[in-house]
Amino acid sequence: MDFGNFLAALTPLNLAVAMFGVVAGTLIGSIPGLTATMAVAVLVPISFSMAPETALILLGAIYTGAIYGGAYAAILLNTPGTPSAIATTFDGYPLAKQGKGDLAVAIACFSSVFGGLVGAFALLFLAPPLASVALAFGPVEYFWLSIFGLSLIASLSQGNLMMGLAGGALGMIMSTVGVAEISADIRLTFGSQTMISGFEVVGAMIGLYCIPVLIDMCSTGEKHLKITGDVAKMPILSAARITFNSKFNLIRSSIIGTLVGILPGAGGSVAGLVAYTEAKRTAKPHQKFGEGEPDGIIATESANNATVGGGFIPTLVLGIPGTPPDAVILGALMVQGVRTGPELFQSNGSIVYTFIYGLLIATVLMLPIGLIIGRYAYKSIVTIPKAVLVPTVGFMTIIGTYSIRNSVSDVVIMLCLGVFGWLISKYGFSASPIVLGLILGPIAEQGFVQAWTIGSAVNNLPGMFFGRPLSQAIIAFTLISLILPWYLNRKKSNKGGH
Amino acid sequence: MADLNTDTSTQSVNNTNKSSTRGSIVVASLLIIIGFITLYDAASYTDIDSKVFPQTSAIALILFSALAIAKQIMQPSIVSGIELGAWWRRIVLVGSMLLSCALMPYTGLLFACILTFAIGLIASMHDQWTQRKAMVYFLCGLSIIVCFYTLFKFVLHVPLP
Repeated sequence: MDFGNFLAALTPLNLAVAMFGVVAGTLIGSIPGLTATMAVAVLVPISFSMAPETALILLGAIYTGAIYGGAYAAILLNTPGTPSAIATTFDGYPLAKQGKGDLAVAIACFSSVFGGLVGAFALLFLAPPLASVALAFGPVEYFWLSIFGLSLIASLSQGNLMMGLAGGALGMIMSTVGVAEISADIRLTFGSQTMISGFEVVGAMIGLYCIPVLIDMCSTGEKHLKITGDVAKMPILSAARITFNSKFNLIRSSIIGTLVGILPGAGGSVAGLVAYTEAKRTAKPHQKFGEGEPDGIIATESANNATVGGGFIPTLVLGIPGTPPDAVILGALMVQGVRTGPELFQSNGSIVYTFIYGLLIATVLMLPIGLIIGRYAYKSIVTIPKAVLVPTVGFMTIIGTYSIRNSVSDVVIMLCLGVFGWLISKYGFSASPIVLGLILGPIAEQGFVQAWTIGSAVNNLPGMFFGRPLSQAIIAFTLISLILPWYLNRKKSNKGGH
Repeated sequence: MADLNTDTSTQSVNNTNKSSTRGSIVVASLLIIIGFITLYDAASYTDIDSKVFPQTSAIALILFSALAIAKQIMQPSIVSGIELGAWWRRIVLVGSMLLSCALMPYTGLLFACILTFAIGLIASMHDQWTQRKAMVYFLCGLSIIVCFYTLFKFVLHVPLP
């Protein structure tokens, strides 16, 4: 790590590549159905002819841009552009419905940049010690982490906990459809070849979140989003003030994002959900999460962008990809002839540090680029006539879902889930617990079965599930997040009664 | 007369609430059925590792749905229910999207989506139609579809039909 590497990252070529990567990533990430993994995967061939550090900067910039880009559709259309932006819909869309879509987009941008910088600094200064955290996480910790994420259902249930829990259970059942990962049993397909590969998470998410919005939008003549201020002006200063006034939430969520990013297989969606849970758990009495609370956007967006730097830690130090896009980047590195592993920082130090500085620069560039693209995205969505907006978004849901697995069946499933999601939303059930179950179900199942097998083999199941310090810490957090809001509400109502 | 009007509107709100509560119970019952189907299917799995998770989730689904029904009967919470009106728009929109799935293998994605867009445009139009509006809106949509089709097919190399 020296100043020379920093200057190497500042060459015109590297700057241009970082800028191109952020723009391309943001645009691709904003399209529902195109995930950060796809953004990196489709653009990876461009990097083959570049020097390793430039290639890494390009891929890192695309990745970080795509994670941020997912927030646009989440805020303006209630459709997470990428799975990382699921929790952004919880408060982003309600805020946009109040006529503050531009504010929400700007808050998402500031939070994403801050989270991205925290993740990149962790990669710069703490990579080797933090990589050991990834190794300390066994199957049982993954299981408890997913249970911690599922505890968010309690707060997403909007007044009817039983309906929320039923939705979560339904999502977990949906996640089991297809071939079982551990034993290869074929589950819940009822002989259908189409269902053998199971529900495609992104397609299901588009269906459950976006189709209900489209169905409601086409049925009334009201405007899709309210406009309260001047569409041409972005409330940048207010957004910066709101974001940085929430310092503790911002820092905590960024750290959560970095740590979750380090865990192989967890990714931005889990980071966003965990950070959102924590933000909600520690909310002040006046904060109304789920109704357009800026802290919800801050938590999710800072956490999901922090996973970018966090995910690179095990990728570079251990050769284990932290998140799915990291797996693609790892492949690209191998093509480049760069061997990742503990010696990488010594043997190819200049490449690694130039890349890390490049990632920092790309993250900083995301601020102006993100605000400019965000402004146009908001302007387009609020000014475009509803008659054009509805079929256009409908078209994008079709092409986005189709392109994930090149399957028409996925589009049909997406539409059916959308209609189902719309129907149940009218009767008190929410789509979010279903999506939560669908995403966290496989992590919980795999962790549970593996931990059960190991625990049975060593003849110590209770010790396996409850005896490890990391597990105990996660269990404690889960219990706190479930019990504390209930206890505080009870205390408040008791005070009110007296 | 005013009292009569108030009574009628209160009665209508009560009827809506009742039908919404009934709707919630129907949805929860449907979830219970899904739970039992899962349990039935899980009984045929050869490996215990495959059974544990779906069975646990199915039992949870049945239990929570039953509790949700009990709560709706004893302490009904207000749910919006489906507002009447504009049903044709909703059906036409979803139907057009399903139609594009059916047409896609035969006509290709581009034509199927242009047709879907045109039908969706009719379903979502709440203003007065004018010849100019129809032309501008359709051309606008057409250009968006062609742009995205080109992006996906030729830049991102997605093998679109």
